[in-house]
Amino acid sequence: MAGASGQDPSWLDPIFSPRSVAVVGTTRVPGTVPFDIFHNILKDDFQGTLYPVSPGERSVAGVKAYKYVVDIPDPVDLAVIVFPSSVVQLAMEQCGQKGVKGAVIISAGFREVGPAGAAREEEVRAIARRYGMPFIGPNCLGVINTDPHVHLNASFARRMPAAGSIGFLSQSGALCTAVLDYAHAKHIGFSKFISFGNKADVSDIDLMLALKDDPATRVILMYLEEMTDGAAFVDAAHRVIHEAGKPVLVLKAGRTRQGAAAAASHTGSLAASDEIVDAALRQAGVIRCQTIEEMFNNAIALTYQPLPRGRRVAIITNAGGPGVLTTDAAIAEKLELAAFSDRTRDIFKRSLPATANIKNPVDVIGDARADRYRVALGSALEDENVDGALVILTPQSMTDIDTIAEEVCRVAAVHDKPTYASFMGETDVASGIAILQKRNIPHYILPETMCRAFARAHDFRVEKDRHRSPAIRFADVDTAAAHAQLDAAIAAGRRTLAPSEAMHVLEAYRLPVLRSDVARSAAEAAVVAARVGFPVALKVESDDIVHKFDVGAVLLGVVTPAAAAMAYDTIVANVRARQPEARIDGVFVQRMAGAGEEVILGVKRDPAFGAVVMFGLGGLYVEIFRDVAFRMAPIPPELIRDMMHEVRAFPILTGARGHTPRDVAAVEECLQRLGQLAVDCPQIQELDINPLIVRDQGDGCAVADARILIATP
Amino acid sequence: MELSEIQQRVTRVVADVLAIDPAEVRPASNFVFDLGADSMKSVELIAGFEEEFDIEMDEDKAREVQTVEGAVAFIAPYVK
Repeated sequence: MAGASGQDPSWLDPIFSPRSVAVVGTTRVPGTVPFDIFHNILKDDFQGTLYPVSPGERSVAGVKAYKYVVDIPDPVDLAVIVFPSSVVQLAMEQCGQKGVKGAVIISAGFREVGPAGAAREEEVRAIARRYGMPFIGPNCLGVINTDPHVHLNASFARRMPAAGSIGFLSQSGALCTAVLDYAHAKHIGFSKFISFGNKADVSDIDLMLALKDDPATRVILMYLEEMTDGAAFVDAAHRVIHEAGKPVLVLKAGRTRQGAAAAASHTGSLAASDEIVDAALRQAGVIRCQTIEEMFNNAIALTYQPLPRGRRVAIITNAGGPGVLTTDAAIAEKLELAAFSDRTRDIFKRSLPATANIKNPVDVIGDARADRYRVALGSALEDENVDGALVILTPQSMTDIDTIAEEVCRVAAVHDKPTYASFMGETDVASGIAILQKRNIPHYILPETMCRAFARAHDFRVEKDRHRSPAIRFADVDTAAAHAQLDAAIAAGRRTLAPSEAMHVLEAYRLPVLRSDVARSAAEAAVVAARVGFPVALKVESDDIVHKFDVGAVLLGVVTPAAAAMAYDTIVANVRARQPEARIDGVFVQRMAGAGEEVILGVKRDPAFGAVVMFGLGGLYVEIFRDVAFRMAPIPPELIRDMMHEVRAFPILTGARGHTPRDVAAVEECLQRLGQLAVDCPQIQELDINPLIVRDQGDGCAVADARILIATP
Repeated sequence: MELSEIQQRVTRVVADVLAIDPAEVRPASNFVFDLGADSMKSVELIAGFEEEFDIEMDEDKAREVQTVEGAVAFIAPYVK
């Protein structure tokens, strides 16, 4: 049942669209969850048949009650279980015997209360699976379907929302009631409204995929508190967005960096879990929102209006100041002010007062009535240089607010370009705003939020239509050699690879490691240095020393064999003096990379998202600004480029402000190879290539240092 | 006190508190699932048993008792 990516799309129909519902465990006491759920289904005009199951009662709210679900003489599609948790398993067993096709378990007292509750939840899941009876919950608010042929409010929310095209899925039941209240005030409707609680059986991923195939749902909104199978979530969201063309908006709680400090590598400490969530959602094309308000600001734009085909907006306003504010906000969101065609400007000249500004933003002047808005908006939307319109209104004494609102709705409805509005103020504009909201014109109090929503809608259009190539798999890699190196370290009970071993793993995947070898004596250091080529760097080979610079165990820029021999002795002496207990396995001698820009590449294996690859510029950019980007491996080529551009300091690599252009293509290939290595070698827990020296364009790059931590079995 | 007497008196209390026919109260009956006791009625049942047998029970443990026969077994040590 759960994890149902290959499910028949109709498998949840008995829950969403039942012909008959039994409320199992209801009572006659108003104001209690068991009664209110039954009463909500009854009063909100459920189109099927409703049965109360209530031992000890002859009737509930005037409807004949049954002692047991098995006593109901007719088939039951959906059981809504409201019994205390202690007897939910008895109720589920009977539902299975009755042939009930699906259930919603409202009751709390399961996994969320500790081990005893978790055991109870497991028992309930086992019963459900034995009978092939999927269930939502436990510990949830319930399920609402606004389809007029179903009209099911199997929840204890205070109100049934209006019908609409937004599907809402929430891990928190309490948040659902707040969202319903918020949406009611803004005339926002829903197709399905589902609180999934502990998701013991039907998961958030199952529900998202069900809404992908739901013709009534155009946009999916989700509130999540945890992502237990992040990789599957991202895969499912990607399918919803790219197969069905439906936007997925996620409000994910928990953005702290706690736990990052315990990580043992650069990549580990930079890849706090929320940053990985952020990157993974972006990789899937999900729009992540920080607040409920932001989620609905985006949702109404995506649901009610056509997606913008481009970034060129026409701003139509009856006030100069708000026009300027909107222009600033549009530019800040990387929108463009459309340049009107000659024809449009002619119409404006003929139809608007001489004092009107006929450039963008179009100022129809403070005394404008509906006719001027009609001409300005209609002409702008007709113009092929315009991708969408933003309508601003401030309430002057002569402004016929409601008529203008009606006119905006009428004009917008006959064009296939988006129109959003901002009627600024509160009291005087309230009735106009209500007209806009009821007729599906997205309305925003602030021009800034309006522009942001337009930009997100455009971003979604680009994302939806974007072609994605599969990740490149290089055939010239030696997976067996990498495995052998890693497995040998695991067999020896070690958690880290020595520098030379890490280099061998990277070399197996044709990452550009510098020539190197380990010397066991000063004389050997001289020989190795001559062989790998000068200048060389020398550093101690020891598992026991993490910060090698700090104990004088690294020497750079050595240019002769004699100096290499001396460097060997110096390093050994420094370690003996400063960390005498450390075991020394020799000195690692490596050709130096030469001049270039330093970047950091990394891998972290996340419990929810699998192998995640990191990119950033070296030094301060990583340490101070945490200016890094992540993607889940394997990474398609387009996303590699996205990832690199996401790093704010990236233009340094491409030659910004007098910097030498570096070999970006070589870095791209390194990231692709690293992604393949991370996927092929699950033994790698964390990996840093720090630094990768990026030479001038066409000259490639070189791995100067690397560190690999092995996953504990 | 004999178990059969405890059983009889428990059945009477249950039937009185839940306002049901004593014939419906069977040893295996679950107070919630079979007899419809909600949380308030569960509190009343515990109070009813204490009064009937003139005992004071551990209330947290008493709440975990789910069936009539479970109640009989739980009360028995108190009335020995």
